[in-house]
Amino acid sequence: MSFERSARAALADEQLRGALRHATTLFGERRRAAMATLPDWEGARDRARAIKDETLLHLDRYLEEFTANAERAGARVHWARDAATACEIIGRIAAERGARTVVKSKSMASEEIHLNAALAARGIEPVETDLGEYIIQLAGEAPSHIVAPAIHKTRRQIGALFAEKLGMEPSDDVAKLAAAARRALRRRFAEADLGVSGVNFAVAETGTILILENEGNARLTTSLPRTHIALMGIEKVIPRFADLEVFLQLLPRSGTGQVLTAYQSLLTGAKRRPEDEGPAELHIVLLDNGRSGMLAAPVTRQSLACIRCGACLNACPVYRQIGGHAYGSVYPGPIGAVLTPQLFGLGRSSELPYASSLCGACRDVCPVKIDIPALLLHLRAEVVATRAGKPRLLERLAFSAYAAVMARPRLFESVVRLARMLRVMLPLGAWTKWRDLRPLAPRSFREEWRTRLRHEVAR
Amino acid sequence: MIRTADARREILRAIRESLAESAAGGGAAREGPVEPRAAGPGSAVGSTGSADPGAKPRGSTGPAAGASKDVVSSFTERLAAVGAQCTVVRGEAAAAHALADILTDAAARRVVGSDAPLVQRLLSALGDGFVRERLEGLSRDGLFACDAGVTTAQWGIAETGTLVLESAREKNRLLSLVPPIHVALLSSTCLCDSLGDALARMSRASHAITLITGPSRTSDIELTLVVGVHGPQVVHVLLLEEEP
Repeated sequence: MSFERSARAALADEQLRGALRHATTLFGERRRAAMATLPDWEGARDRARAIKDETLLHLDRYLEEFTANAERAGARVHWARDAATACEIIGRIAAERGARTVVKSKSMASEEIHLNAALAARGIEPVETDLGEYIIQLAGEAPSHIVAPAIHKTRRQIGALFAEKLGMEPSDDVAKLAAAARRALRRRFAEADLGVSGVNFAVAETGTILILENEGNARLTTSLPRTHIALMGIEKVIPRFADLEVFLQLLPRSGTGQVLTAYQSLLTGAKRRPEDEGPAELHIVLLDNGRSGMLAAPVTRQSLACIRCGACLNACPVYRQIGGHAYGSVYPGPIGAVLTPQLFGLGRSSELPYASSLCGACRDVCPVKIDIPALLLHLRAEVVATRAGKPRLLERLAFSAYAAVMARPRLFESVVRLARMLRVMLPLGAWTKWRDLRPLAPRSFREEWRTRLRHEVAR
Repeated sequence: MIRTADARREILRAIRESLAESAAGGGAAREGPVEPRAAGPGSAVGSTGSADPGAKPRGSTGPAAGASKDVVSSFTERLAAVGAQCTVVRGEAAAAHALADILTDAAARRVVGSDAPLVQRLLSALGDGFVRERLEGLSRDGLFACDAGVTTAQWGIAETGTLVLESAREKNRLLSLVPPIHVALLSSTCLCDSLGDALARMSRASHAITLITGPSRTSDIELTLVVGVHGPQVVHVLLLEEEP
């Protein structure tokens, strides 16, 4: 479905808009309150961005350093050029270990590569264990927000879903719903052979991966099963252990409005001795999938600084009205509108760079100062230059005519005179559908100047 | 069949080509080479370059003998703010009493403790009325049936009300996570001012370091807070001040 059609459908869904208004407003308020607890917010943003810039300019070397140190600590690092390869690597590890159930904690990268479908195709059941992800997996839907995947659903809808799928008494008591999910998922954790997680940060200096969460499902996923597979985009690496501080200051505050999320797991390799706790093996899958190409220009490179906090979604006047599904991508909102065309090709998402009023709210809230409006404009230029998207013949014609007229004063005057004589309101379709076109003045300024104003000024 | 060595070469080449293209197009040049640092497990190579786990970056207060009242009070305030409980005790005998009270108040019967000597001593001082499970040989189902897990914490962070648990010190990963009640024993001399201080002090010898700030929580349904979704509903810190 085209963006325009799905956005229109979303706008007509009163329940969805109510849920969005509630959630994005609350997220915004909490973010602002949490920001105030950090004395130098701007300084922290600058430091974080500088660390990301430094890393990205030397990404090859930091990835090699990370790999060497993670492997020295007992992890096995795999490299995946694209989504299919990453799914193949993870599927093979699972199959070789005879895994029937895979417990998963929240990972946007796994959504990006459609890992669940790939595992299911091998007869391996993936079980999402983050409450929001679990809800949308039960509903057979895609996440609609980077941080809160089920943000588009009301408690009533979730109650009905759980009644149907888990056989519980219908309820809209949030605590009861969470308890039902805990019970159902404890059983899955008890039998799980393998855990798949995402990664928030990977420290080159030590080979450590860090996972943030609130529920404890990521801790269960990474400590109960015998095998842990961590999937990460190649941009997640940062140079030093001490660099974690600024990112741990920014990410929870920007994402959920917390000073710190309930849990951070810092995992360095597999367990050292058999009697230690935790998985016997840790596999880390490094995913490129179009990211290396974004390094080719400074404007696109900044996309890789994103730490997936979701603040730009909550701030965006477009996202706040239509929600995540309308974007037709696992990455919605302003950051999704710039990541999706770069990851999956402009051909399939040529409308997304236009899904913005360019108001700049996303840039203002971004904890790593990504200039999303500049990226949107860059991608719009790409759409035009590569003729991706629908052929905009009329638009092209109109703009060449406009350029020709504006560059020639005499031609401009005759066109204006002609337009006035004919009283034509040009058929500007898409433009006048949402805006008024002011009527033309009976006499232009130039005419006034020649016949009247010039003499008055002279006097 | 995927040859991972090829994939690695291919990705690194793609990265280098893109960066070269960017530099040629007037993008920021790649200034001086970055020396890869090797870090074996156990080596502490922080930005401070110090191998001393007690190093104090940025002139912060260290784990001073008898932590300052300020650090203790800001730690306990933050704990309350994130929904954790705290009891401050002086000496092991008082700690054992407090632990029994905490467990009784929470109606915990089945208790499992880590292999830390302090935990073992306090648990053995618990009276009857408690079932003490042994961590060794405890099945997943057995663990899931426990009411409370008792561990130590290696560090506390005053600024955030956070506990730091290192895997190299004791078996604490599952005990601090699976039972609905987690009791953590922390010496007040191990309080750090800030997250940065704690990061500088953590033992890099641990393959798993867990930072815990309050009980398990979720806001995934209508952004309404629910406590205790996958992890503990109750986090109780037993803060031990040194005996005078």
